[in-house]
Amino acid sequence: MELTIAGVGTRLGGRWVVDGVDATPPTGALTGLLGPNGAGKTTLLRLVAGLLVPQAGAVMVSDDEPGPGPTSTAGAAGAVPPRQVPVHLLPRRHRARRIALLEQESSSAVPLTVRDVVALGRIPYRSWWGTDDDPAAVDRALEAAEAAHLADRAWATLSGGERQRVQIARALAQEPALLLLDEPTNHLDVAAQLHLLAFVRNLGTTTVAALHDLNLAAAFCEHVLVLSAGRLAAAGHPADVLTPALLRQVYGVEAEVLTHPRTGRPVIAFTDRSPVGPTPRPQEDR
Amino acid sequence: MAAGVRRLPLTVLVAVGVVALVVTVLVAVTIGPAHLAVSEVARSIGVHLHLLGAGGAAPVPTLHDAIVWQLRLPRVLTAAAVGAGLALSGAVMQSLTRNPLADPYLLGLSSGASLGAVAVLVVGVALVLPLAAFAGALLALVGTLTLARAGGTLTPGRAVLAGLAVSQLAAAGTSFVIFWTATGDSYREILAWLMGSLAGATWRSVAISAGALLVVGTVLVVSGARLDAFTFGDTSAAALGLHVDRTRWTLMTLVALLTGAMVAVSGAIGFVGLVLPHIVSALTGPAHRRLLPVAALAGGTFLVWADTLARTAFDPRELPVGIVTALIGVPVFAVLLRRGQGSAWS
Repeated sequence: MELTIAGVGTRLGGRWVVDGVDATPPTGALTGLLGPNGAGKTTLLRLVAGLLVPQAGAVMVSDDEPGPGPTSTAGAAGAVPPRQVPVHLLPRRHRARRIALLEQESSSAVPLTVRDVVALGRIPYRSWWGTDDDPAAVDRALEAAEAAHLADRAWATLSGGERQRVQIARALAQEPALLLLDEPTNHLDVAAQLHLLAFVRNLGTTTVAALHDLNLAAAFCEHVLVLSAGRLAAAGHPADVLTPALLRQVYGVEAEVLTHPRTGRPVIAFTDRSPVGPTPRPQEDR
Repeated sequence: MAAGVRRLPLTVLVAVGVVALVVTVLVAVTIGPAHLAVSEVARSIGVHLHLLGAGGAAPVPTLHDAIVWQLRLPRVLTAAAVGAGLALSGAVMQSLTRNPLADPYLLGLSSGASLGAVAVLVVGVALVLPLAAFAGALLALVGTLTLARAGGTLTPGRAVLAGLAVSQLAAAGTSFVIFWTATGDSYREILAWLMGSLAGATWRSVAISAGALLVVGTVLVVSGARLDAFTFGDTSAAALGLHVDRTRWTLMTLVALLTGAMVAVSGAIGFVGLVLPHIVSALTGPAHRRLLPVAALAGGTFLVWADTLARTAFDPRELPVGIVTALIGVPVFAVLLRRGQGSAWS
């Protein structure tokens, strides 16, 4: 799914949490959404998912699937291909068949099996009377997320990595053309983080993932968007974007950006210095 | 379902539930000071429904026929409808509030409905009794949720505390109104509204409770898929294509309507809505399209037996049925509390 973020902004409590963001994440690839805590990553993901109505601009998506069209094209920003439509105007069920969003935290007090969780992804396809969740689609999603062996386990007994994999399977059960992930590598050990991002990258689905770990973003993303206080600070290939100057400006940290000897990707090595000038070191002679 | 968690098909569960409920109703009608045979009960019902010609089988003695048709059957059927309605309400509330402790009684809806009903009884307009109970339930629901949200996020624990407060207030109001207008045995009347009683059930009670169950219950059961979408919270429900606020308030209003209708005929019976959905979901799994119909059938069966126990255990004295449901419900509540010590509760 082609995605154009055109001048999108929204206020929460009078403050622009997302402020005039323009971006075109590449189609069919993994885009990293970076920025410090509170930069607006989660809000931007919700805007892209169509769950929040932007107060400025619009998130435009190509809607090539047959289905009911948008109720109106009002609010469409210019300079986008005509067949793109504002995501928040897509009918809800139809939108849920095209776009899947995984939240940062997923908890439930209901005793669920893994299959129950994945079957939730079929809700946008359910008929009014049907009880059937298309078991084949659930199986496909479980297979694709490499979670088939977990199908009959109780959700509550899974490890963090397994849960994340199952949540991905739930998202895949929606058969989305656009996948939005909010810090999917949170609480995962390093192997699970690498595995998850490699998996998502290889899906071939347009994916935007909010990430905290800059090195993971540098290693796996084809494109990164860096948010700072709601504004887009930079966008592009990680090697072009993740520079010491940008890291100082956005995160207030000092870092060297090296090149990975095998992959050629940027590797960020942080240095132990305070953001505003060097910290006074302990006296040598004491 | 794949191997491992083999769940019975819904048709089997519903068929078993229907048979259990029908047998329960027939048997419960035979139980009481005057013991009747199941065949007599069946014949009496058959004659009244014009299924049997009056001259066909051996006629039922007039007294027995009156006991069946005028006393026990309306009461048993009301119990079945109320039990089903309360179980449905509990299951829906638990999903909408993502709170395993949610239940019309614990969240104050039942007491609010009692107050509403008692308030109009004073005025003497019994026709609007269910509507007043509905208004009371809705007000109590809004009160509980507002109180629980005030100054923080809505956690299951806060919701139950707020429900307790609203419930106590409404119960005090109910008691006050009855005392103020005392016409005879006000203690018994207060007890009936606060603890629940089916002693006054008539065919009119059957019409109100079964009517509400058929109309509102059907809508709730059909909304099963929407309820499933709330499993991981509001954002996830929205991402699955729901209009979250509209869905929640529509369904909450329907629950208040159902609870109001049930309380209007039976008073505030506790723990049916809390306990039955948890027990039933062990059989059906969490999908509401499966859970809701089976919970309704099980709730109906459960309350018929609870009421039968209430009216016969200390014969000729009768217990308020709420005492029986509490005796069964509180231990289950305790188990739920123990099990829920973990994350999602506080």
